[in-house]
Amino acid sequence: MTDAARAESAPRRVSPRTLLRVLWRSLFLQAAWNPRGMQNLGFAYAMEPALRDLYPDGSARARALERHLEFFNCHPYLAAAILGGAVRLEEDVARGAAEPRTVSAFKSALASPFAALGDGFFWLALRPAAALIAAVTEPYLGLWCVALFLAIYDGVHLAARAWLFFAGYRRGEGIVAAVSHAHLPQIIGFLKGSAAVLAGGIAGRSVVVAGLPHRPWHAVLISVLIVALAALLPRVGLTAALYTAMALGLALGGGFL
Amino acid sequence: MTAGVADLFGTAAVAALIGGLAAVERKGAVQLMLSRPIVLAPLLGWALGDPRGGLVLGVPLELIFLGGVNLGGSLPENETLLAAALTSAVVPAGIAAGTGVDAPLAALGLALLYPLAVAGRRLDRASERHNAQLSDLALARAARGGDGAALNLRGLLLPFAVTASICFACAAFAPFLGLARGACPPRLASGLTGAWHAVWALAAASAIRAIRDPRAPAFAAFGFGATIAAAALLRALP
Repeated sequence: MTDAARAESAPRRVSPRTLLRVLWRSLFLQAAWNPRGMQNLGFAYAMEPALRDLYPDGSARARALERHLEFFNCHPYLAAAILGGAVRLEEDVARGAAEPRTVSAFKSALASPFAALGDGFFWLALRPAAALIAAVTEPYLGLWCVALFLAIYDGVHLAARAWLFFAGYRRGEGIVAAVSHAHLPQIIGFLKGSAAVLAGGIAGRSVVVAGLPHRPWHAVLISVLIVALAALLPRVGLTAALYTAMALGLALGGGFL
Repeated sequence: MTAGVADLFGTAAVAALIGGLAAVERKGAVQLMLSRPIVLAPLLGWALGDPRGGLVLGVPLELIFLGGVNLGGSLPENETLLAAALTSAVVPAGIAAGTGVDAPLAALGLALLYPLAVAGRRLDRASERHNAQLSDLALARAARGGDGAALNLRGLLLPFAVTASICFACAAFAPFLGLARGACPPRLASGLTGAWHAVWALAAASAIRAIRDPRAPAFAAFGFGATIAAAALLRALP
Protein backbone atom coordinates (compact mmCIF):
# COMPACT_ATOMS: atom_id res chain seq x y z
CA MET A 1 0.00 0.00 0.00
CA THR A 2 1.37 3.49 -0.87
CA ASP A 3 1.68 6.31 1.67
CA ALA A 4 -1.22 8.14 0.01
CA ALA A 5 -3.41 5.07 0.20
CA ARG A 6 -2.45 4.52 3.83
CA ALA A 7 -3.26 8.15 4.64
CA GLU A 8 -6.59 7.76 2.86
CA SER A 9 -7.41 4.68 4.93
CA ALA A 10 -6.56 6.42 8.23
CA PRO A 11 -9.56 7.10 10.47
CA ARG A 12 -10.70 10.72 10.60
CA ARG A 13 -11.52 10.41 14.28
CA VAL A 14 -9.80 8.59 17.12
CA SER A 15 -11.87 5.87 18.75
CA PRO A 16 -13.43 6.37 22.23
CA ARG A 17 -11.04 3.69 23.53
CA THR A 18 -8.07 5.66 22.22
CA LEU A 19 -9.40 8.81 23.83
CA LEU A 20 -9.58 7.00 27.16
CA ARG A 21 -6.00 5.79 26.67
CA VAL A 22 -4.86 9.37 26.07
CA LEU A 23 -6.70 10.47 29.22
CA TRP A 24 -5.06 7.66 31.22
CA ARG A 25 -1.61 8.54 29.90
CA SER A 26 -2.20 12.19 30.78
CA LEU A 27 -1.87 11.09 34.40
CA PHE A 28 1.86 10.58 33.68
CA LEU A 29 2.39 13.99 32.09
CA GLN A 30 5.22 14.89 34.48
CA ALA A 31 6.92 11.50 34.74
CA ALA A 32 9.99 12.83 32.92
CA TRP A 33 9.66 16.54 33.77
CA ASN A 34 12.90 18.22 32.78
CA PRO A 35 14.21 21.78 32.74
CA ARG A 36 14.67 21.90 28.94
CA GLY A 37 11.40 20.62 27.53
CA MET A 38 9.50 20.48 30.86
CA GLN A 39 6.42 18.28 30.14
CA ASN A 40 7.36 17.64 26.50
CA LEU A 41 8.05 13.93 26.87
CA GLY A 42 4.91 13.39 28.96
CA PHE A 43 2.77 15.22 26.40
CA ALA A 44 4.17 13.15 23.53
CA TYR A 45 3.64 9.97 25.58
CA ALA A 46 -0.01 10.89 26.20
CA MET A 47 -0.63 11.77 22.53
CA GLU A 48 1.01 8.63 21.18
CA PRO A 49 -2.12 6.37 21.06
CA ALA A 50 -4.05 9.06 19.16
CA LEU A 51 -1.17 9.60 16.72
CA ARG A 52 -0.98 5.84 16.15
CA ASP A 53 -4.67 5.86 15.14
CA LEU A 54 -4.43 8.95 12.95
CA TYR A 55 -1.13 8.31 11.19
CA PRO A 56 -0.71 4.69 10.13
CA ASP A 57 2.32 5.78 8.12
CA GLY A 58 5.41 5.62 10.34
CA SER A 59 7.19 8.70 8.99
CA ALA A 60 4.07 10.92 9.25
CA ARG A 61 3.57 9.66 12.80
CA ALA A 62 7.18 10.42 13.70
CA ARG A 63 6.77 13.98 12.39
CA ALA A 64 3.61 14.39 14.46
CA LEU A 65 5.35 12.98 17.52
CA GLU A 66 8.19 15.44 17.03
CA ARG A 67 5.64 18.26 17.19
CA HIS A 68 4.64 17.09 20.64
CA LEU A 69 8.22 16.77 21.86
CA GLU A 70 8.48 20.55 21.67
CA PHE A 71 8.71 22.54 24.91
CA PHE A 72 5.48 22.35 26.86
CA ASN A 73 4.66 23.43 30.40
CA CYS A 74 1.27 23.78 32.00
CA HIS A 75 -0.50 22.85 35.21
CA PRO A 76 -0.73 19.03 35.09
CA TYR A 77 -4.53 19.00 35.57
CA LEU A 78 -5.40 21.91 33.26
CA ALA A 79 -3.13 20.38 30.63
CA ALA A 80 -5.89 17.79 30.14
CA ALA A 81 -7.91 20.44 28.27
CA ILE A 82 -4.96 21.16 25.98
CA LEU A 83 -4.43 17.45 25.39
CA GLY A 84 -8.08 16.99 24.43
CA GLY A 85 -7.89 19.99 22.11
CA ALA A 86 -4.61 18.76 20.59
CA VAL A 87 -6.22 15.39 19.76
CA ARG A 88 -9.08 17.21 18.02
CA LEU A 89 -6.62 19.40 16.05
CA GLU A 90 -4.52 16.38 15.10
CA GLU A 91 -7.67 14.84 13.64
CA ASP A 92 -8.08 17.97 11.51
CA VAL A 93 -4.42 17.83 10.47
CA ALA A 94 -4.66 14.12 9.60
CA ARG A 95 -7.56 14.72 7.20
CA GLY A 96 -5.90 17.80 5.70
CA ALA A 97 -8.32 20.34 7.21
CA ALA A 98 -5.64 22.16 9.24
CA GLU A 99 -1.94 22.93 9.09
CA PRO A 100 0.36 21.07 11.50
CA ARG A 101 1.55 24.35 12.96
CA THR A 102 -1.96 25.08 14.33
CA VAL A 103 -1.41 22.30 16.89
CA SER A 104 1.80 23.89 18.19
CA ALA A 105 0.22 27.34 18.17
CA PHE A 106 -2.79 26.06 20.14
CA LYS A 107 -0.55 24.42 22.75
CA SER A 108 1.73 27.38 23.24
CA ALA A 109 -1.14 29.90 23.37
CA LEU A 110 -3.01 28.10 26.14
CA ALA A 111 -0.21 26.59 28.24
CA SER A 112 0.77 29.70 30.22
CA PRO A 113 -2.69 31.08 31.08
CA PHE A 114 -3.95 27.62 32.00
CA ALA A 115 -0.83 27.04 34.12
CA ALA A 116 -1.49 30.25 36.07
CA LEU A 117 -5.16 29.32 36.53
CA GLY A 118 -4.36 25.76 37.68
CA ASP A 119 -1.60 26.83 40.06
CA GLY A 120 -3.83 29.48 41.60
CA PHE A 121 -6.81 27.19 42.04
CA PHE A 122 -5.42 23.74 42.81
CA TRP A 123 -2.04 24.37 44.47
CA LEU A 124 -2.68 27.68 46.21
CA ALA A 125 -6.36 27.45 47.15
CA LEU A 126 -8.02 24.01 47.00
CA ARG A 127 -5.16 21.94 48.44
CA PRO A 128 -4.48 24.26 51.42
CA ALA A 129 -8.21 24.54 52.12
CA ALA A 130 -8.76 20.76 51.95
CA ALA A 131 -5.70 20.07 54.13
CA LEU A 132 -6.76 22.65 56.72
CA ILE A 133 -10.30 21.26 56.87
CA ALA A 134 -8.77 17.81 57.49
CA ALA A 135 -6.35 19.18 60.12
CA VAL A 136 -9.10 21.05 61.97
CA THR A 137 -11.41 18.03 62.03
CA GLU A 138 -8.66 15.53 62.95
CA PRO A 139 -9.38 15.59 66.75
CA TYR A 140 -13.02 14.68 66.04
CA LEU A 141 -12.79 12.46 62.98
CA GLY A 142 -9.48 10.71 63.68
CA LEU A 143 -8.30 8.80 60.62
CA TRP A 144 -11.47 9.73 58.72
CA CYS A 145 -9.99 13.20 58.28
CA VAL A 146 -7.67 11.65 55.69
CA ALA A 147 -10.67 10.36 53.73
CA LEU A 148 -12.26 13.81 54.04
CA PHE A 149 -9.13 15.46 52.60
CA LEU A 150 -9.03 13.05 49.66
CA ALA A 151 -12.79 13.32 49.05
CA ILE A 152 -12.69 17.12 48.93
CA TYR A 153 -9.52 17.40 46.86
CA ASP A 154 -9.85 14.47 44.49
CA GLY A 155 -13.60 14.89 44.09
CA VAL A 156 -12.87 18.26 42.49
CA HIS A 157 -9.58 17.28 40.88
CA LEU A 158 -10.72 14.12 39.09
CA ALA A 159 -14.01 15.60 37.93
CA ALA A 160 -12.19 18.69 36.63
CA ARG A 161 -9.56 16.65 34.85
CA ALA A 162 -12.06 14.43 33.04
CA TRP A 163 -14.34 17.36 32.17
CA LEU A 164 -11.45 19.45 30.87
CA PHE A 165 -10.16 16.63 28.68
CA PHE A 166 -13.48 15.84 27.03
CA ALA A 167 -14.48 19.52 26.77
CA GLY A 168 -11.09 20.20 25.15
CA TYR A 169 -11.68 17.39 22.69
CA ARG A 170 -15.26 18.47 21.86
CA ARG A 171 -14.62 22.20 21.59
CA GLY A 172 -10.99 22.40 20.44
CA GLU A 173 -10.03 26.07 20.57
CA GLY A 174 -13.42 26.88 22.14
CA ILE A 175 -12.21 25.41 25.46
CA VAL A 176 -11.05 28.88 26.58
CA ALA A 177 -14.62 30.16 26.69
CA ALA A 178 -15.77 27.05 28.61
CA VAL A 179 -13.04 27.47 31.26
CA SER A 180 -13.72 31.20 31.62
CA HIS A 181 -17.33 30.39 32.61
CA ALA A 182 -16.14 28.40 35.65
CA HIS A 183 -15.78 31.58 37.82
CA LEU A 184 -12.52 30.32 39.29
CA PRO A 185 -11.25 33.68 40.66
CA GLN A 186 -14.31 34.02 42.93
CA ILE A 187 -13.97 30.42 44.14
CA ILE A 188 -10.25 30.95 44.79
CA GLY A 189 -11.02 34.02 46.93
CA PHE A 190 -13.57 32.10 48.99
CA LEU A 191 -11.27 29.09 49.49
CA LYS A 192 -8.33 31.25 50.56
CA GLY A 193 -10.45 33.23 53.03
CA SER A 194 -11.84 30.04 54.58
CA ALA A 195 -8.37 28.46 54.69
CA ALA A 196 -6.95 31.50 56.51
CA VAL A 197 -9.68 31.33 59.20
CA LEU A 198 -8.97 27.61 59.66
CA ALA A 199 -5.20 28.24 59.87
CA GLY A 200 -5.91 30.75 62.65
CA GLY A 201 -8.04 28.11 64.35
CA ILE A 202 -5.12 25.66 64.22
CA ALA A 203 -2.89 28.33 65.78
CA GLY A 204 -5.42 28.86 68.58
CA ARG A 205 -5.66 25.14 69.21
CA SER A 206 -1.84 24.85 69.39
CA VAL A 207 -1.81 27.48 72.14
CA VAL A 208 -4.60 25.74 74.07
CA VAL A 209 -2.91 22.33 73.82
CA ALA A 210 0.51 23.74 74.76
CA GLY A 211 -0.43 25.36 78.01
CA LEU A 212 -3.88 26.57 78.87
CA PRO A 213 -5.00 26.78 81.62
CA HIS A 214 -2.30 25.16 83.79
CA ARG A 215 0.86 26.41 82.05
CA PRO A 216 0.03 29.97 80.96
CA TRP A 217 3.68 30.85 80.22
CA HIS A 218 3.90 27.97 77.76
CA ALA A 219 0.79 29.30 76.07
CA VAL A 220 2.25 32.80 75.92
CA LEU A 221 5.53 31.52 74.46
CA ILE A 222 3.74 29.43 71.84
CA SER A 223 1.59 32.45 70.89
CA VAL A 224 4.67 34.65 70.53
CA LEU A 225 6.40 31.90 68.57
CA ILE A 226 3.50 31.60 66.11
CA VAL A 227 3.41 35.34 65.47
CA ALA A 228 7.22 35.59 65.16
CA LEU A 229 7.45 32.60 62.85
CA ALA A 230 4.57 33.80 60.67
CA ALA A 231 6.37 37.13 60.31
CA LEU A 232 9.92 35.85 59.85
CA LEU A 233 9.50 32.54 58.03
CA PRO A 234 10.31 33.83 54.52
CA ARG A 235 13.51 35.46 55.82
CA VAL A 236 14.88 32.73 58.09
CA GLY A 237 13.79 29.72 56.03
CA LEU A 238 12.03 26.57 57.13
CA THR A 239 15.07 24.64 58.36
CA ALA A 240 16.36 27.40 60.67
CA ALA A 241 12.81 28.11 61.87
CA LEU A 242 12.19 24.46 62.72
CA TYR A 243 15.38 23.94 64.72
CA THR A 244 15.10 27.30 66.51
CA ALA A 245 11.49 26.60 67.47
CA MET A 246 12.35 23.08 68.65
CA ALA A 247 15.30 24.33 70.73
CA LEU A 248 13.04 26.90 72.42
CA GLY A 249 10.35 24.30 73.02
CA LEU A 250 12.94 21.87 74.41
CA ALA A 251 14.30 24.48 76.81
CA LEU A 252 10.84 25.48 78.00
CA GLY A 253 9.44 21.97 78.26
CA GLY A 254 12.55 20.68 80.05
CA GLY A 255 12.47 23.53 82.54
CA PHE A 256 15.73 25.06 81.34
CA LEU A 257 14.16 28.50 80.87
CA MET B 1 16.89 -13.44 66.81
CA THR B 2 16.44 -14.68 63.22
CA ALA B 3 12.68 -14.06 63.46
CA GLY B 4 13.37 -10.52 64.73
CA VAL B 5 15.68 -9.81 61.80
CA ALA B 6 13.12 -11.26 59.38
CA ASP B 7 10.39 -9.05 60.91
CA LEU B 8 12.64 -6.01 60.62
CA PHE B 9 13.42 -6.87 57.00
CA GLY B 10 9.70 -7.28 56.25
CA THR B 11 8.88 -3.93 57.87
CA ALA B 12 11.69 -2.23 55.97
CA ALA B 13 10.56 -3.78 52.66
CA VAL B 14 6.97 -2.56 53.17
CA ALA B 15 8.22 0.92 54.07
CA ALA B 16 10.47 0.94 50.99
CA LEU B 17 7.66 -0.10 48.64
CA ILE B 18 5.12 2.43 49.92
CA GLY B 19 7.70 5.21 50.21
CA GLY B 20 8.93 4.55 46.67
CA LEU B 21 5.41 4.57 45.22
CA ALA B 22 4.63 7.80 47.05
CA ALA B 23 7.75 9.42 45.57
CA VAL B 24 6.47 8.52 42.10
CA GLU B 25 2.96 9.76 42.87
CA ARG B 26 4.22 13.10 44.18
CA LYS B 27 4.97 14.63 40.79
CA GLY B 28 5.43 12.02 38.08
CA ALA B 29 2.23 9.99 38.21
CA VAL B 30 -1.44 10.66 38.87
CA GLN B 31 -1.03 13.27 41.67
CA LEU B 32 -4.02 12.20 43.74
CA MET B 33 -2.20 13.71 46.75
CA LEU B 34 -1.60 10.26 48.24
CA SER B 35 1.99 11.39 48.74
CA ARG B 36 1.04 14.38 50.90
CA PRO B 37 2.14 13.88 54.52
CA ILE B 38 -1.46 13.92 55.84
CA VAL B 39 -2.26 10.86 53.68
CA LEU B 40 1.09 9.12 53.34
CA ALA B 41 2.03 9.05 57.04
CA PRO B 42 -1.22 7.37 58.25
CA LEU B 43 -1.23 5.04 55.23
CA LEU B 44 2.36 3.97 55.87
CA GLY B 45 1.63 3.88 59.60
CA TRP B 46 -1.26 1.49 58.88
CA ALA B 47 1.03 -0.75 56.83
CA LEU B 48 3.56 -0.74 59.67
CA GLY B 49 0.98 -1.41 62.40
CA ASP B 50 -0.02 2.01 63.80
CA PRO B 51 -2.13 4.28 61.57
CA ARG B 52 -2.89 6.71 64.41
CA GLY B 53 0.82 7.07 65.04
CA GLY B 54 1.23 7.96 61.39
CA LEU B 55 -1.50 10.57 61.71
CA VAL B 56 0.29 12.16 64.70
CA LEU B 57 3.25 12.77 62.37
CA GLY B 58 1.32 13.53 59.20
CA VAL B 59 -0.90 16.44 60.27
CA PRO B 60 1.82 18.87 61.48
CA LEU B 61 4.08 17.89 58.58
CA GLU B 62 1.27 18.66 56.14
CA LEU B 63 0.82 22.12 57.67
CA ILE B 64 4.56 22.84 57.75
CA PHE B 65 4.83 22.10 54.02
CA LEU B 66 1.46 23.54 53.02
CA GLY B 67 3.07 26.46 51.20
CA GLY B 68 5.67 24.38 49.37
CA VAL B 69 4.58 24.44 45.74
CA ASN B 70 6.50 23.16 42.74
CA LEU B 71 5.85 25.97 40.28
CA GLY B 72 7.76 25.62 37.01
CA GLY B 73 11.45 25.20 37.81
CA SER B 74 11.24 26.10 41.51
CA LEU B 75 11.63 23.21 43.91
CA PRO B 76 10.32 23.17 47.48
CA GLU B 77 11.63 20.87 50.20
CA ASN B 78 10.65 17.26 49.58
CA GLU B 79 7.84 16.70 52.09
CA THR B 80 7.11 13.22 50.75
CA LEU B 81 10.62 11.92 51.38
CA LEU B 82 10.57 13.33 54.91
CA ALA B 83 7.09 11.99 55.72
CA ALA B 84 7.93 8.53 54.36
CA ALA B 85 11.30 8.32 56.10
CA LEU B 86 10.01 9.72 59.40
CA THR B 87 7.04 7.34 59.49
CA SER B 88 9.28 4.40 58.51
CA ALA B 89 11.55 5.15 61.48
CA VAL B 90 9.17 6.47 64.14
CA VAL B 91 6.17 4.10 63.90
CA PRO B 92 8.21 0.87 64.34
CA ALA B 93 10.29 2.66 67.02
CA GLY B 94 7.13 3.52 68.95
CA ILE B 95 5.95 -0.07 68.74
CA ALA B 96 9.37 -1.33 69.89
CA ALA B 97 9.56 1.16 72.80
CA GLY B 98 5.98 0.43 73.86
CA THR B 99 5.15 4.14 73.89
CA GLY B 100 3.53 4.37 70.49
CA VAL B 101 4.14 7.58 68.57
CA ASP B 102 4.14 10.07 71.44
CA ALA B 103 5.31 13.68 71.36
CA PRO B 104 8.89 13.00 72.59
CA LEU B 105 9.48 10.28 70.01
CA ALA B 106 7.96 12.35 67.20
CA ALA B 107 10.14 15.36 68.12
CA LEU B 108 13.27 13.21 68.37
CA GLY B 109 12.62 11.60 64.99
CA LEU B 110 11.86 14.91 63.30
CA ALA B 111 15.00 16.57 64.68
CA LEU B 112 17.12 13.70 63.38
CA LEU B 113 15.48 13.23 59.98
CA TYR B 114 14.42 16.73 58.91
CA PRO B 115 17.58 17.20 56.78
CA LEU B 116 16.10 14.58 54.43
CA ALA B 117 13.52 17.16 53.29
CA VAL B 118 16.38 19.37 52.14
CA ALA B 119 18.31 16.44 50.65
CA GLY B 120 15.13 15.51 48.78
CA ARG B 121 15.38 18.73 46.82
CA ARG B 122 18.78 17.59 45.53
CA LEU B 123 17.18 14.29 44.57
CA ASP B 124 14.55 16.23 42.60
CA ARG B 125 17.27 18.19 40.78
CA ALA B 126 19.13 14.97 39.97
CA SER B 127 15.88 13.46 38.59
CA GLU B 128 15.38 16.49 36.39
CA ARG B 129 18.91 16.21 34.97
CA HIS B 130 18.30 12.52 34.27
CA ASN B 131 14.97 13.36 32.63
CA ALA B 132 16.65 15.95 30.39
CA GLN B 133 18.81 13.13 29.03
CA LEU B 134 15.68 11.05 28.42
CA SER B 135 14.11 13.98 26.55
CA ASP B 136 17.21 14.34 24.34
CA LEU B 137 17.13 10.61 23.63
CA ALA B 138 13.42 10.77 22.72
CA LEU B 139 14.06 13.70 20.35
CA ALA B 140 16.92 11.82 18.69
CA ARG B 141 14.71 8.74 18.22
CA ALA B 142 11.87 10.82 16.79
CA ALA B 143 14.28 12.50 14.36
CA ARG B 144 15.27 9.02 13.12
CA GLY B 145 11.58 8.17 12.64
CA GLY B 146 11.32 6.08 15.80
CA ASP B 147 9.05 6.27 18.83
CA GLY B 148 10.74 7.83 21.84
CA ALA B 149 7.64 8.72 23.84
CA ALA B 150 7.68 5.51 25.87
CA LEU B 151 10.90 6.75 27.53
CA ASN B 152 8.62 8.99 29.60
CA LEU B 153 7.97 6.32 32.22
CA ARG B 154 11.69 5.77 32.82
CA GLY B 155 11.64 9.12 34.59
CA LEU B 156 9.83 7.44 37.49
CA LEU B 157 12.64 5.02 38.31
CA LEU B 158 15.14 7.31 40.03
CA PRO B 159 12.75 8.89 42.59
CA PHE B 160 11.30 5.44 43.31
CA ALA B 161 14.67 3.78 43.86
CA VAL B 162 16.23 6.51 46.01
CA THR B 163 13.17 7.07 48.21
CA ALA B 164 12.63 3.34 48.66
CA SER B 165 16.27 2.90 49.72
CA ILE B 166 16.05 5.74 52.25
CA CYS B 167 12.80 4.37 53.72
CA PHE B 168 14.37 0.92 53.99
CA ALA B 169 17.35 2.36 55.87
CA CYS B 170 15.10 4.41 58.17
CA ALA B 171 12.97 1.38 59.05
CA ALA B 172 16.15 -0.59 59.78
CA PHE B 173 17.26 2.26 62.06
CA ALA B 174 13.94 2.19 63.98
CA PRO B 175 15.04 -0.18 66.82
CA PHE B 176 17.82 2.24 67.76
CA LEU B 177 15.37 5.13 67.83
CA GLY B 178 13.07 3.00 70.01
CA LEU B 179 15.98 2.36 72.41
CA ALA B 180 16.78 6.08 72.53
CA ARG B 181 13.12 6.88 73.35
CA GLY B 182 13.07 4.24 76.07
CA ALA B 183 16.24 5.66 77.61
CA CYS B 184 14.93 9.26 77.75
CA PRO B 185 14.89 10.59 81.35
CA PRO B 186 11.61 12.29 82.35
CA ARG B 187 13.05 15.78 82.11
CA LEU B 188 14.30 15.22 78.56
CA ALA B 189 10.97 13.61 77.60
CA SER B 190 9.21 16.70 78.96
CA GLY B 191 11.59 18.91 76.97
CA LEU B 192 10.91 16.94 73.80
CA THR B 193 7.17 17.30 74.41
CA GLY B 194 7.76 21.07 74.55
CA ALA B 195 9.71 20.79 71.28
CA TRP B 196 6.73 19.02 69.68
CA HIS B 197 4.44 21.85 70.82
CA ALA B 198 6.87 24.23 69.12
CA VAL B 199 6.63 22.11 65.95
CA TRP B 200 2.86 22.68 66.05
CA ALA B 201 3.49 26.41 66.47
CA LEU B 202 5.65 26.32 63.34
CA ALA B 203 2.97 24.28 61.58
CA ALA B 204 0.33 26.90 62.39
CA ALA B 205 2.60 29.79 61.33
CA SER B 206 3.55 28.00 58.14
CA ALA B 207 -0.12 27.30 57.33
CA ILE B 208 -0.96 31.00 57.73
CA ARG B 209 1.94 31.92 55.43
CA ALA B 210 0.79 29.34 52.90
CA ILE B 211 -2.40 31.31 52.20
CA ARG B 212 -1.03 33.77 49.67
CA ASP B 213 -3.66 36.41 50.10
CA PRO B 214 -3.38 39.91 51.61
CA ARG B 215 -6.45 39.24 53.78
CA ALA B 216 -4.96 36.06 55.30
CA PRO B 217 -3.45 37.60 58.50
CA ALA B 218 -6.75 39.30 59.39
CA PHE B 219 -8.80 36.15 58.74
CA ALA B 220 -6.27 34.05 60.68
CA ALA B 221 -6.43 36.47 63.62
CA PHE B 222 -10.20 36.04 63.62
CA GLY B 223 -9.88 32.23 63.59
CA PHE B 224 -7.30 32.39 66.38
CA GLY B 225 -9.45 34.63 68.59
CA ALA B 226 -12.58 32.55 67.98
CA THR B 227 -10.78 29.33 68.96
CA ILE B 228 -9.31 30.79 72.16
CA ALA B 229 -12.70 32.26 73.08
CA ALA B 230 -14.46 28.95 72.40
CA ALA B 231 -11.89 27.06 74.51
CA ALA B 232 -12.27 29.56 77.38
CA LEU B 233 -16.05 29.29 77.17
CA LEU B 234 -15.96 25.50 77.24
CA ARG B 235 -13.65 25.55 80.29
CA ALA B 236 -15.92 28.01 82.08
CA LEU B 237 -19.00 25.85 81.62
CA PRO B 238 -19.87 23.75 84.66
